Formats: sequence, C-alpha cells, structure tokens
Amino acid sequence: MKPYEWMTTYTPQHEWIEKKGIFMPLAFYFGSLGGGLYLVSLYFNNLLGIVIAWLIVGALKGGAHLIDLGRPFRSWRIIVRPQSSWISRGLILVILFLGIVPVQLFFSFFSPGSGWETLFKVLAGLAALGACVYPGFTLNYVNAIQLWNSAMLPLLFIVSGFLGGFAVLLLVGLFGGTVDLPGIEFGSLIFLGVTVIFILIYTLSVSYTGPSGKVALQELLKGKASLAFWIGVVVLGIMLPFTILLPAYKGISVPEILLFLSALGEIICGSSLTYVILKTGGYSPLIPLSSDET
Amino acid sequence: MARWGMVINLNKCIGCYACVLACKQEHFLPPNIFWGRVLTGEVGSYPTIHKLMYPVLCNHCEEAACVDVCPTGASTRREDGIVVVDYDKCVGCRYCVIACPYQQRTFHADDKGQYFPDQELTELEIMGKQLYPFQEGTVVKCNFCAERIDEGLKKGLKPGTDREATPACVNACPSTARCFGDLDDPTSEVSVLISEKKAFQLHPEYGTKPSVYYITR
Repeated sequence: MKPYEWMTTYTPQHEWIEKKGIFMPLAFYFGSLGGGLYLVSLYFNNLLGIVIAWLIVGALKGGAHLIDLGRPFRSWRIIVRPQSSWISRGLILVILFLGIVPVQLFFSFFSPGSGWETLFKVLAGLAALGACVYPGFTLNYVNAIQLWNSAMLPLLFIVSGFLGGFAVLLLVGLFGGTVDLPGIEFGSLIFLGVTVIFILIYTLSVSYTGPSGKVALQELLKGKASLAFWIGVVVLGIMLPFTILLPAYKGISVPEILLFLSALGEIICGSSLTYVILKTGGYSPLIPLSSDET
Repeated sequence: MARWGMVINLNKCIGCYACVLACKQEHFLPPNIFWGRVLTGEVGSYPTIHKLMYPVLCNHCEEAACVDVCPTGASTRREDGIVVVDYDKCVGCRYCVIACPYQQRTFHADDKGQYFPDQELTELEIMGKQLYPFQEGTVVKCNFCAERIDEGLKKGLKPGTDREATPACVNACPSTARCFGDLDDPTSEVSVLISEKKAFQLHPEYGTKPSVYYITR
C-alpha cells in the first residue's frame, strides 16, 4: 500500500496480523481448538483429550496472548471490564476454564459418576464453549471492518474449534490412546460438512455488506490471502480430510498415515481460516470520494 | 461542563501539513507516530478534477468504540468529551486500534526510533522524553491538547478563543480552517458553524457520534 492510499482506499488492518500481531490469530485459534477439544473429549469421555485441551488453552493460547501484548506484566488488568470488552470477557472465561477443569479431573479420577463430577463437567463445558466462541464475538464487535461484522463469525470459530477437537482426538487414537474411532470419523465428517456450509453462507453474506466487504472478499478469494484460503482451508483443510475419512467411516481400511494427514488437515483448516479472516479484514476509506460531496 | 469539539473547513484547508507538524512538535511525538494527518485524494476526471484535502485526527467520539473495547479501562472519555489513554493502565492489546473506524490510534511498539539516528538525541528530544514519557508497548493518540485546555481553564482562559488554551493544530493553521470550542454552547463559533454550514461527520453510520465536524462552505 502506498502512503497516500492509507484510508483513502480499502485499508487492511495490520495490528493483529503483522509482526508480533501474528500471535493474535494463533491465540484465537488455540482458544477455539482447546475449547472444542474439551467439548469433544467430554462427549467421548476421554480424559487424555481433556488434559490436552487444558494444556492447549493454558500454555499455547495463554503464551501467544502474552507474547502479543505490549505490556504483558499488566495482563492482570484485562479482566476489569467485562461489561463492554470481549477481550475482558474472554480472559475471564479462559481463567474459569483453566480453574474448573483440574477440579473436574479430580472428581473424574477419584469420584467418577458423582454429582460433583457432573456439575464441574457442565461448568467446564460452558467455560470451554465460551473460550471457543469469544474470539468470534471479539471480531464481530468491530463494525468498522465489514468482513468481521457478520453473525457467522462466532459460528465459524465454534465449528473450527470442534473440527480441531475431533482432529486432536484422532491423533490421540493414532498414537495409542483409547478412542472411539468410528465416532470421531463420523463427527469429523459432519463438522467438515457444516464448515463448508458456514463458509459459503459467510462469504455470501459478506458480499452484501458494502464496498469494503466486497474488496475484503476479493482479497480472500483472489488476493493476497487466496493461497492460504484455497490451499489451507479448502484443499488441505476440507477436501483432503473428507476424501480420507469418508471411506474410513464406510469401513474401508485406510492407512494410519492418511488418517494422520486428515487430522493435520482439519487443524490446518481452522488455523488457516482464522488467519485469512484476520489478514483480509479492512477499513472503509475516510474520504468520501464522490463528486456530490465536494 | 463544556463538550469540546472541532470544525474543519475543507474549502480553507490548503494541505500545508502545519497542523500535523504542530501536533508532532507540541507532544514530541516519536518517529512514525502521527496524531493528525492530512489525507489527499482526487475526484472527477480531466478537465474537471477536484483535489480533496481532509485533515483527520481523533474524533473524540461520544460513543467511542475504543473506550468500549478497552479491557483495562485505560481508554476513557472525560466529562468534557475528550477521549484519553492512561498509559499506566494500557496493556498494549491493540483492540482499540482495531476497533477505531477512523484509524486514529497508533501502537507505540518501541522507543528505539530516533529522528537523527547517526547522532545522539538532541536537547529537544531529551526534553520531550521528560515532558511526554510515552511508554513502549502502549497505544497513543490525539488528546485535543488536553493539557493546554486544562491549564488554560485554570487560568481563566477560553479554549478556542485564547491561543494558550487552544489545541496546537488549531493555532498552527495559516488559513484558519480549524475552529475549536464548546459543542454544548449554542452561541460558540463551532456550534454556529455546524448549524449554519451543514457540517458533516466522517462515517456517521458507525454510530460513534464524532466531535469533529467538517464543512465545505
């Protein structure tokens, strides 16, 4: 972008994608992934998956956020404005998740099936859902960026979180853990289909938002983010897992290496989707370039 | 309590950038940080082309998106309408930078930049770092020269009328394109200009209710 084009044409955001800002899409995705993995592990009653989810949210998401912040030692201040800031609400949900999950694991190990275990599973599940979806609302709240100002965005984060959750649980199974493989394959296929539908609805709805939304969409589909979108999201993220998991679910024997690749593909799908959404978010020009207004 | 606002006459603006430089000088802004800018563009086609020059700055919005999204309460809106950043509370998340529809906030990533890299800091730069100790890793933005306004009010001066209490960019404009005053006073020059000259705001559809208005007559 030339200096004279700044805010006189569609201007992409750069704070949450360039230099240290690259850790923001990572942090957002790790939060969705951890939340989705927790909920999927809860469904399949897989304690190892729950532990991994806790580690992803605590270490990877937390670490990425701390690296991104300009003043990380002041991060404790972030929880003070949940009344209006989604980042504040998100951190509170993440802290609740990180605090409740160990308690739930304690009851799962020492008192499985008890009312306390159920209670903490419900609480942790709600916190996980919040950790999964809040990045979508954080972006959705920014009405200056038409690409992000869509109700589909929180849903996309939930779906990519669940997709990643199924993928990680599949990897757990491939590396020796006890998992319900057909159930995971079926779940992955369902969420791959849902991802396709949601992406189609999202791109269609963004095309109706306004000029900046249309430009952002062009960047996504044909511009600088198109490689990450078509290769990362579509080919590796959706087509590859679908072509591997469908025969596997049908009972056809599939080599483990292909299942491994399909799991990686699902993780690449969610992370690439988060990346391209943040990469192509941009602002409408400030100057009204219309003869009527001069 | 007054509600400070500004009116900028686009027909008077000559694009000299004096406002941009005055602001830089007033606040000793580090390199690559601008609290005010002049956007230029052209409309029409030969032979009827109009050049547009739009001085832009923080709009100190009544419904500031940056204040809503700030997770630490560092960004606040004073009673007099000026939106300020408390650098001691800012955690550098840049959510306010993202949320601002006018992109008038800047992240001060580090203090390493120097205007004259091959020599030591000048006395002026050293003085500037003492007067305005911007913190690395925080977000900075125009504050309507709040310190000039506050000091001026203490001395009984009137911002917008008395130069000592008026923002530097308003004072610097050689064509008097900028006007500053109390938006809640119907007899103030800004209020009269807004009502008589059909002033408009930038991107009113975002619902931010900016305190900076533009007129073209």
